[in-house]
Amino acid sequence: MTEKIDPITFEVIKNALDAIADEMALVVMRSAHSAICRDSLDYSTAVCDGQGRMVAQGLMTALHMGSFPFAMRILTEQYQGKMNPGDLFITNDPYGGGGMHLPDIYITQPIFFEGRLESYATTLVHATDIGGITPGGTAVHATEIYQEGLRIPLVKFYDQGQVNDTILKVIEKNVRVPKKVLGDLRAQVAACHSANKQMCQMFEKYGVAEMRLYFDEMHDCAERVMRDEIRNLPDGSYRFTDFIDGFGEDPEPIPFRVKVTIKDDEVMVDWTGTSPQVKGAINAPGPFVYSATYLALRCMVRSDIPNAEGYMRPIKLVVPLGTIVNPSLPAAANARGITGFRVMDTVLGALSKAVPERVPAAGEGGATNPSIGGMWKGEPFVFTESMSGGWGGRPDRDGVDGLANLAANQTNQPVEFVETDNPIEIVQYGLVNDSGGPGKFRGGMAILREWRLLADEAVFTMRSDRRNHLPYGVAGGKSGTPSWNTLNPGPNQKVLPVLPQESSNLKKGDSVRHIQPGAGGYGDPLARDPQLILEDVRDEKLGIDYVKREYGVVIHQEKLNVDEAATRRLRRRMAEIKDREQDPESHVEHFVRSLKLGRRYLPGTTASPGKRSPKRTRGT
Amino acid sequence: MAKEKTFRVGADIGGTFTDIVLIGDDGSIATKKVPSTPTDYGVAIAAGLAELLKETDVDPAAIEGVVHGTTVVTNAIIEQKGAKTALITTAGFRDVLELRRVRIPELYNFLYDKIPPLVRRQLRFEVDERMGPRGDVKTPLDVKSVEAVIERIRESDVQAVAICLLHSYANPEHEKRIDEMVRAALPSSVFVTCSADVLPEIREYERTSTTVINAYVGPVVASYMSSLLEKLTAVGVGASLRIMQSNGGVMGTDAILKKPASIVESGPAAGVIGAATSAALGGYPNIITLDMGGTTAKASMVENGAVAKTAEYEVGSGINLSSQLTKGRGHALKLPVVDVSEIGAGGGSIIQVGRNGRLQVGPQSAGAEPGPACYDGGGEEPTLTDAFVLLGYINPDYLVGGEMPLKADKSKLAMQQEVAEPLGKDLIEVAHGAFVVAGATMMRAVKAVTTYRGRDPRDFALFAFGGNGPVVAAEVADQLQIKQVIVPPNPGLFSAFGLLFSKIEHEFARTLFRRTVEADRREIGDVYGELEVQTLSAMKADGYQPREVTLVRQADLRYSGQAYELTVPVDGGPLGKTIVEDIVEAFGAEHQRTYGHRAKDDPVDLVNLRVVGWAPPRGPQNTSPAAAIASHGHALAQDKPTRMAYFGAAHGQLETSVISRKDLLGRHQHGPLIIEEYDATIVVPPGWSSTLDELGNVLMKAR
Repeated sequence: MTEKIDPITFEVIKNALDAIADEMALVVMRSAHSAICRDSLDYSTAVCDGQGRMVAQGLMTALHMGSFPFAMRILTEQYQGKMNPGDLFITNDPYGGGGMHLPDIYITQPIFFEGRLESYATTLVHATDIGGITPGGTAVHATEIYQEGLRIPLVKFYDQGQVNDTILKVIEKNVRVPKKVLGDLRAQVAACHSANKQMCQMFEKYGVAEMRLYFDEMHDCAERVMRDEIRNLPDGSYRFTDFIDGFGEDPEPIPFRVKVTIKDDEVMVDWTGTSPQVKGAINAPGPFVYSATYLALRCMVRSDIPNAEGYMRPIKLVVPLGTIVNPSLPAAANARGITGFRVMDTVLGALSKAVPERVPAAGEGGATNPSIGGMWKGEPFVFTESMSGGWGGRPDRDGVDGLANLAANQTNQPVEFVETDNPIEIVQYGLVNDSGGPGKFRGGMAILREWRLLADEAVFTMRSDRRNHLPYGVAGGKSGTPSWNTLNPGPNQKVLPVLPQESSNLKKGDSVRHIQPGAGGYGDPLARDPQLILEDVRDEKLGIDYVKREYGVVIHQEKLNVDEAATRRLRRRMAEIKDREQDPESHVEHFVRSLKLGRRYLPGTTASPGKRSPKRTRGT
Repeated sequence: MAKEKTFRVGADIGGTFTDIVLIGDDGSIATKKVPSTPTDYGVAIAAGLAELLKETDVDPAAIEGVVHGTTVVTNAIIEQKGAKTALITTAGFRDVLELRRVRIPELYNFLYDKIPPLVRRQLRFEVDERMGPRGDVKTPLDVKSVEAVIERIRESDVQAVAICLLHSYANPEHEKRIDEMVRAALPSSVFVTCSADVLPEIREYERTSTTVINAYVGPVVASYMSSLLEKLTAVGVGASLRIMQSNGGVMGTDAILKKPASIVESGPAAGVIGAATSAALGGYPNIITLDMGGTTAKASMVENGAVAKTAEYEVGSGINLSSQLTKGRGHALKLPVVDVSEIGAGGGSIIQVGRNGRLQVGPQSAGAEPGPACYDGGGEEPTLTDAFVLLGYINPDYLVGGEMPLKADKSKLAMQQEVAEPLGKDLIEVAHGAFVVAGATMMRAVKAVTTYRGRDPRDFALFAFGGNGPVVAAEVADQLQIKQVIVPPNPGLFSAFGLLFSKIEHEFARTLFRRTVEADRREIGDVYGELEVQTLSAMKADGYQPREVTLVRQADLRYSGQAYELTVPVDGGPLGKTIVEDIVEAFGAEHQRTYGHRAKDDPVDLVNLRVVGWAPPRGPQNTSPAAAIASHGHALAQDKPTRMAYFGAAHGQLETSVISRKDLLGRHQHGPLIIEEYDATIVVPPGWSSTLDELGNVLMKAR
């Protein structure tokens, strides 16, 4: 720290800024109208310094955070000298506005103190609907941004305290559920106002010069910590390739190729070789890819960094224009979330080669977004939700069953609210037995959720992934289990693609089941403690046959204890079979076979331990 | 010995000490502080009370009532020492408890782990049935599936069973039927509880979790209470026992046994209630309480004399910063709880230098063992208490009236080696820095209960108690621009007094989910009617006749599509024609107040109806906790009228008068000033003045 910086004042100011950003988040949470915002928490808040550089962020969606600097840069460039007290800006435009995709609407307020621009408050909320070809705004099959909904350029939403009625009315007429969308915008404005008031109090207390000094130090401090951390990583270039399964019935894999070069205290992340932009809505505009890449590296850091954007300085990216990670107009982008998750997985895959002792196996691969829309009681309804997740096995502990993806960190929606607010019944929601990747530390289990339509008809779209390209294992851990979408599960079920190119029509009584991918395992499954395996069997998470096959652990059917001698023998024999390691997906066959049966409830849900244990995956 | 006198007892258990207060109906007071007995907390209470009765020569039979605040239930959850519990759910939903709301309360931590569910998957069972959101039966209860589940529960030898089915708030029939079947089949020692009885409110995870907590702690609470009653009886005290609930009201033991989850946060509630009562008597309806002890600081808000409550609470994760953003760490407990926001900054909080030269205070604590460096118990890391000693705030020879001498040189050594040298700064500067940083951390706890609820802390006075609260109060107030601080007499014993001023309280709620335009006045009236009958009957069981009971109606509403409700008061008596409009208007006004805006044309949902019934405690009412304590305040001999104390770079070391509370009587004295008491120290920094009000409170004002 420089001479002038007092560590105590630093700590006090940092605390205060974090509290302001958190309070913005709470204002949105409590006063927003849409369930995706208020229940799923798909939004973010941040406070920036007078140059538009982020200095604090609300405890919200990690994957959004790295995008604020882009939106802020464009705002400060385009409106330099044209901002006034009481102004608020709005945009969602990924091509020119700094946005990520049309549903994410940014509202930003420049904060003036004693007549001078000293700070910004900024917010981003995922709108429930933004118009476009399907309700919910995440039509995977859109090929151009023009089909995806309303594109709002970076304009003044409030001009010196006066709301811009024109833009308000345009939005109102272009979205399916204007009350929810406008209600959320109001919540964003309230959040900015709350930050405005409190930032002014801070400027008053500390003085502008002092605040600027500490803003700078926050960036510098974050940069120093980040550089220290990078210096501790082994120098070298690490390559990794991961995939998105692709569109429709017969998907063409979409490759993500990265080269991560660590040199001294800097990291270069080069995406050359990654798929060209695609004719589908999963192109990820630059800001989002930067954000996902920063996030992967940020998670590697074990020490506490101020949430200031200075930590980004030692990280450089190469994102060739015209690729899925830096598309050009008019590439469609509404369902781009999936690409962010894959970007993060790919960077972490590369890092797992550099420091396997610090990187977890792949998680479920990101949130799944179903959307169902139609007419109910004479009014349009749009139901969307975000479903996640499971964490990959970690270097020193298991993955987690049923925990949001770190990148998106959203909540689930209460079943009872979904059923109250929509003509939808949730048939079941829970963990899927014998799922996830085996490993010394096993991957998190897959989650299942099933929706049944109660209205006469509706259209259904889905954004999911990882049926063909599974969440990877690390350090000898096996990959996770595939995701699965079925219409009317049962003997006559229809398997739907992970990224359908068209929406499906649902009729009353139809149900759609989604099974998320199970997360990857970490380390050799044969090294897993048999007692931990026994606990999973007792908990009816893993079957007796499964653990015998995957872990070489023999469990006595009736006594429900580990047969130590038989386990030792079996594990020794399995270790000798060299082929084993060449097929990290042997467990997947069994899993898929059981999915194809389409049982009414989760496999084994109502099963009993001990002698009444289900004889499900018998026979191989 | 005055046989005609009657007495009431307050007993508050803390981690280290059990505080017992005995108040006579003439206002006489005696107190006792004894070490807690964690293996069986009742031992310390009974023994301490017996000693106190002996010392004061009071006949145990003269005791009319015992009010008790306890952390036993929280501890059982944190230490995972509750009952072996089974859970029965709707088919397809047994993992709701484990999946929770899936959110992570942190941004960048790959090593995060969830708290394990209180019922493991092997004991979560499903039955075939389905209710719709309006209580319509979609799939009738399959009795055979219940029988099969009961058979398995019987084999698994559980002590408690929780039943929580989807939409049971709208129609509890299936839960009731299962409840009957389970009770008929299992031994009566098994604790059985239904979600429709514990929390008939929408949101399946929160309802399931709350019901499971109720079951999990049921047997623990039952055995704790019967053992405590037995011990009290053994020392001759046969008076009724009431327990402080998390919501700040007290209930009799029978009611507690039905809803043991309602006393989970019994501990912290008492101090807040005491503060609200005594502040109201002193003419301060709006206060923020700051209760700082050894490991944490707790803040709460009292507005217009009413204690702020929340139903968005979590337990089992240790510290509870009252903020939606950090939700997800503990087990959801959706029962009304005094909204206390906790932060890891207490006297034992460790001061350290983080990477890149940041000075950090807590949340790690040196605890009671090894304790702060100055305790000389082997602790080598400096703590806030050490900082207080170095700053001259705490008299090392005078903690707990001199019973516990501190070693200032140990504080010095630890602070020098661990903090001052790495930062290259003066000892006294870093000690003061730690003090300021602690204040900043506490400011966040205060914000969590005020600005996060749309309130401006500057409109409140800070009411400080706990062993360390009065040391930091002025600093925290300065940081929040609060101009007034109130410190009650004997702040260290304050919670035990609070117990004796709590109302007897019962609350019942039910979800009546209706768009307000479709809401039927008669339906609302019917539900209120039923809830009131329920409330009165619970009050009656606690010995209160309907005419003694004040009933308050409330409603929870939200704009359609919102995920959280606001609670507004509803007029009592027969419902007027415009009742629905009135409720909607009250909701709009509250929304405006809390979030700064309202949406006049948006549809509003009615979610829950509530009835709270309360009655004042019996016994001496003409006295506030503060007045009561003042009448018996310890007078302290002073042998050092001044000492040097440090108040930051602007003031430096100042020669500071050290006085006792009684010295302030009828005087105004300007800071710097230190007021030393048996169990706490009050720091009045430069720029603040102090005086004593007629209730014995120290009143501090910023200039």
